[in-house]
Amino acid sequence: MKPLKLSILGVRGIVGEALTPELVVTFAQAFGTYIEGGPIFVSRDTRPSGVMIASSVIAGLLATGYEVIDLGVCPTPAMELAVRRHNGAGGVAITAGHNPSDWNALKFVAGTGRLLNAYQGEELLDVFHQGEFARARWDGLKPLRHQAHAVPEYVEALLEQVDREAIRKRRFKVAVDCCNGACVDATMRFLTALGCNVLAINDEVERPFPHDPEPNPDNMSQLRAMVKASGADIGFAQDADGSRLGVVTEKWDALSEEYTLCLIAEMLLQSGDTLVTNSCTTRAVEDIAARRGARTIRTKVGEPHIVETMLFHDAALGGEGSGGIVLPRMHHVFDSTAAIAYILDYLARTDRPISALAGSIPRYYMVKERVPCPPERAPAVMARLREMVDERPDLGNVDFTDGIRLERGRSWVHLRPSMTEPVLRIIAESETAGEARSLVDEWGGHVRSFLL
Amino acid sequence: MKSVTNLKISISGVRAVVGDTLSPLLMVRFAQAFGTWTGSGTVVVGSDTRTSGEMVRHAVLSGLASAGCRVVDVGICPVPTVQVMVEHLGAAGGVAITASHNPVEWNALKFIRSDGIFLDSYQAEELLAIYHQGEFTRVGSDSLRLPRTDASAVQTHINRILQLVDAEKIRARRFRVAVDCCNGAGAVATPLLLEALGCEALPIHATPNGIFPHPPEPVPENLTDLCNHVKATGADVGFAQDADADRLAIVSDEGVAIGEEYSVALCTDFVLRRTRGPVVVNVSTSMMVDEIAARYGAPVVRTAVGEVNVAVRMKKERGVIGGEGNGGVMYPPLHYGRDSLIGMALVLQSMAEQKMPLSEMARALPQFVMVKKKVPITSERVPAILARTREKWSNYTLDFTDGTKIIGDRWWAQVRASRTEPIMRVMVEAPTEAEAEDLAGQLMAEIASA
Repeated sequence: MKPLKLSILGVRGIVGEALTPELVVTFAQAFGTYIEGGPIFVSRDTRPSGVMIASSVIAGLLATGYEVIDLGVCPTPAMELAVRRHNGAGGVAITAGHNPSDWNALKFVAGTGRLLNAYQGEELLDVFHQGEFARARWDGLKPLRHQAHAVPEYVEALLEQVDREAIRKRRFKVAVDCCNGACVDATMRFLTALGCNVLAINDEVERPFPHDPEPNPDNMSQLRAMVKASGADIGFAQDADGSRLGVVTEKWDALSEEYTLCLIAEMLLQSGDTLVTNSCTTRAVEDIAARRGARTIRTKVGEPHIVETMLFHDAALGGEGSGGIVLPRMHHVFDSTAAIAYILDYLARTDRPISALAGSIPRYYMVKERVPCPPERAPAVMARLREMVDERPDLGNVDFTDGIRLERGRSWVHLRPSMTEPVLRIIAESETAGEARSLVDEWGGHVRSFLL
Repeated sequence: MKSVTNLKISISGVRAVVGDTLSPLLMVRFAQAFGTWTGSGTVVVGSDTRTSGEMVRHAVLSGLASAGCRVVDVGICPVPTVQVMVEHLGAAGGVAITASHNPVEWNALKFIRSDGIFLDSYQAEELLAIYHQGEFTRVGSDSLRLPRTDASAVQTHINRILQLVDAEKIRARRFRVAVDCCNGAGAVATPLLLEALGCEALPIHATPNGIFPHPPEPVPENLTDLCNHVKATGADVGFAQDADADRLAIVSDEGVAIGEEYSVALCTDFVLRRTRGPVVVNVSTSMMVDEIAARYGAPVVRTAVGEVNVAVRMKKERGVIGGEGNGGVMYPPLHYGRDSLIGMALVLQSMAEQKMPLSEMARALPQFVMVKKKVPITSERVPAILARTREKWSNYTLDFTDGTKIIGDRWWAQVRASRTEPIMRVMVEAPTEAEAEDLAGQLMAEIASA
């Protein structure tokens, strides 16, 4: 089985297996056929397949008669900003974000500078499956242009979000791990402009990923060591395209990626605000929101769902336990550097060390497990699980926003097929590690028995 | 049966119409097939100036990279430059993105093997088999290799030419040379070559934008601008190139387009003066070549039409000069491929040595008149037409190297099916126009009634 995922989030797979140039060129043609308007912006992260995939994307887009602006290696949020500011018809981000180096993917951005919403994503898939694409004649083909100013513009926009002088005065010592990814240039420029003493590791875009780019504590050991050795005020870990953020405290505690949203919720939420997160993000964020008089709305997993719900409810903050944060004042996309901006601004305004904020986050224990499950069998497994919970109301409150979420007391368990890999994800959270573990074991057992 | 006229997948490569049959997927897949055929080797990629070149180039880069190839992108440059670079870099192959003399809405991929010659028919069959099979080499992320851009390809090509001609002798004459690049790939190379040869370059249509000011085939009816330009500037000679700069046609100092057959003929006369050896040309090339070769006692070898056929034979026979009568000069010391740039250099050196105007040099060659006609047909009629010609002319010497060639006494005629269009081509060469037209008329009537 070659893992390949065509979904409303785009197309994602392992390069050389399922993710081939034929598939990519076809998807790019579908996108060029689907959208309307000005030029299309293309960005990529630093993974080794980026140049090859970019060539396919550019060929497909040019063939549909679009002008293509190639931003080269560039954070996805910087490309999204460029699309919005320069009246692009849309954008294509070539990145598998947090996935390992041998993966790649296309993410599609609308003229609004936001990912296609769920309906647009469906329509794009329809065009792709239909296979009838726009084809420009020889005199209708437009040029390919290369542009380097997306990153400086993005950094300027980030700087406008913060109190530069207040941050400069603090001369923060900031450790940062960009995973040799697309953020290196933007993050260095941004932190330097704020007068930070920057301690960078993995800041060479020509080199391979030093570790998996998912900013979770397992991948933050180098950053933690750097914070410890340097006495930095804070450490930041970014994924390969600048969507997700992980944080290490000045006490060299590598926080779970679930806590990034919690930290910002603690800093930002006011009474009456709305916070949007997905079904399987830690309960701690909901507790923080409640403590601050804000309401929490939970959505399906995935950036488009978070963003669309935020727009509808005019939410003050959104994000996922993966470390993806939406700060609507900047734009409605996952943006790890915007999150860094917000955190530094807060630290400059308050004098509270990041460890104190982390310490105020309610303690829960989360256990995540991935049960291998071929995509074509996942629906039947989910149906069996659904029957079980329908028959057993005693199991707790059930929510079907995304997969199945069961909540009982202060514990919950969430079951859903992955959008990106051939696995079924089981996540449980509880006030004790043992309870969380036994919930995952119990439901993992059910899933495995259905797969026999 | 519907005749498919705007997509040609054949042993000559893949050729299609932009906005119609030429999809980026088709280009990606052919590039993958070729990358697979080379065994994931180094592949040189270059294109002519067509507006679709950028799109096709990216599709090709992606397909080759996916097959594990190391790509050297030489950008916009003449097709012969791509061929020279394949040899120069010791690459496993090359892809030229060009539909040469086809109209502007076409584009094509031509595949080059490690010796700089296009794939021969067996290799092209292999490539087609891989393409149709669809089982391409697809390497994982760890084995992908980044493409490299090489902006020095044109200079490398020019340097090689300068080593093969007496540049000092040409420079001493300070020729004034008019040139029509048809806004094609020649625009990035020809002015540089002429400067290096001490000529005053007088270019027209030398913007490499792919908007062809006239059909790119360098036949006399397309060269009115160049003829007028030669007359207006009083140039010593005018050179015309097709879009990918493999073919050369000449306008004399009198402002007359002398016909593309003279390119190979003039070069043959020049080369045989100093080097004796076989002349290798295709069956449709002018009899001028036979009579010139006879003057020097050199043998002439005839091959089927198609650059690769001439090139492969030329290599085998150790030919010293030759090519295709349609303006495709091939000079083995440089490489086995049609090359307008070496053609110009040889003609200029010949002018420098003979110290006579180009018009006189042309008149000093054996004089023939060639007429070329096209008859639209449907492909199912081709065998009957050829059989009919064969039967009708069985009293003459017949050559079936390509279609049917009838060889008379100081004349010949050829009937063959085009490889790129649904037409029969009729070519006749004879000492006078009346004789040539008469023979052509007979053959066309036979085709119509077959």
